[in-house]
Amino acid sequence: MVSLCGIKISHTYRFFKALKEVSLELQKGECYALFGPNGAGKTTLMKIFATLLQPTSGTVTIMGRDGVQDREEARRFLFFIGHGSFLYDDLTAIENIEFAIGLRGWLPTLGEIKMALDRVGIGPYASQKSRTLSTGMQKRLALAKAILAEPNLLLLDEPYASLDEKGIAIMNELICDFLKKGASVLLSSHDRAKTAEVATHAGILHNKGLREIPVTELAHALF
Amino acid sequence: MPFFDVIKWIVWKDILSEIRSRESISSLFFFALNVILIFSFSFSVDRDVTLALMPGLIWVAFGFTSILGLGKSFLSETHNDCIGYLQMAPVPKGAIYLGKLAGNLLLMLFVEMILYPLFMIFFNLDILVKLPTLLIISLLATIGLSALGTLFSALTVQTRAREVMFPLLLLPLSVPVFIGAVESTQGALSGDPYSFYGHWIALLFVFDMILTIASFWMFEFILDY
Repeated sequence: MVSLCGIKISHTYRFFKALKEVSLELQKGECYALFGPNGAGKTTLMKIFATLLQPTSGTVTIMGRDGVQDREEARRFLFFIGHGSFLYDDLTAIENIEFAIGLRGWLPTLGEIKMALDRVGIGPYASQKSRTLSTGMQKRLALAKAILAEPNLLLLDEPYASLDEKGIAIMNELICDFLKKGASVLLSSHDRAKTAEVATHAGILHNKGLREIPVTELAHALF
Repeated sequence: MPFFDVIKWIVWKDILSEIRSRESISSLFFFALNVILIFSFSFSVDRDVTLALMPGLIWVAFGFTSILGLGKSFLSETHNDCIGYLQMAPVPKGAIYLGKLAGNLLLMLFVEMILYPLFMIFFNLDILVKLPTLLIISLLATIGLSALGTLFSALTVQTRAREVMFPLLLLPLSVPVFIGAVESTQGALSGDPYSFYGHWIALLFVFDMILTIASFWMFEFILDY
């Protein structure tokens, strides 16, 4: 079953072309890792799949839903962890989760929330305001939200940034869990070694286009 | 997701954040208090003149307080890119607008409820009997201001000249609301029969409907893409 299918996406910021034609297809249980130098268009591509940006041309299909025309429906299936933490500073970790998941249509129990926070290693900080959490802990909190959101497509923009070794290990464990449950993961990263542990497919964004590379060659590929 | 649940979540989040931070409420209160103090010292010589100008004074204080408060409405959403999460949320964007509008409305009404007793104290006003009518006028005018303010706050929050753009957009379009509010407050304070100023209250109601419906419809285009 195709969970995400982007065909010939391109995006232009005014006169600057961020992406030329990019084709990307992701099946259930697959993890696609995007690489590329700064400014290659990784975040632009992630934002297009997250329905935060409209492609200048081309189509994005998420679980059979058009990511532009039918984006409200498509958004039910995806969860995006980007550079911003999407956290409200004056709400506690628990309240931030309640709000984020509440907007997705259901309210997890306190036990479920605490279990998710424990899973990402920030259980003891459940009642602390998110402004008091470090950047790495905020990323873990975002990950706890993703656990409870149970998306079909998880989008991770530089997921290892700001995380310590333990955080990176938790991140990779959770990505594997998502894949086992049949979700698809699209991530962008600069850390080839850590990404190689979870990726099933990989591609390099270069010259505004996408070149696929075997995951086994990830460590040696030149880009 | 049920439409009203989205509104409930947004209001809950905004009110809880405000109670914790007291960012808006404290600045709004002290700003309005300063305006009242300045007016009370300026007009203390002639009480009749003061009374004649009272509707204008009340709405200058409420109006500028609204600009200050409503302008910040979407600012909290830009921290940590929270506005992106609202954009991606699989919910009708109109419900997010109504949630933000309700949160702003509650905040503004709370400040106004504090300001009315201050007006009574500083200007020696005896308006207890007229208070229910004044509160209805305040509610209607504040709905109109909040409807526009919430929309323009979302529109300008990601622009560089936000602090210039917001009042530039809000003030001209809120003129009918201010006129309706001042005229109906004048009628209520003078003790005129309702039939003398009721049409101004009706005008406020009509403007509220138009502004809220138009803003509700436009909000999706502002938040999404």
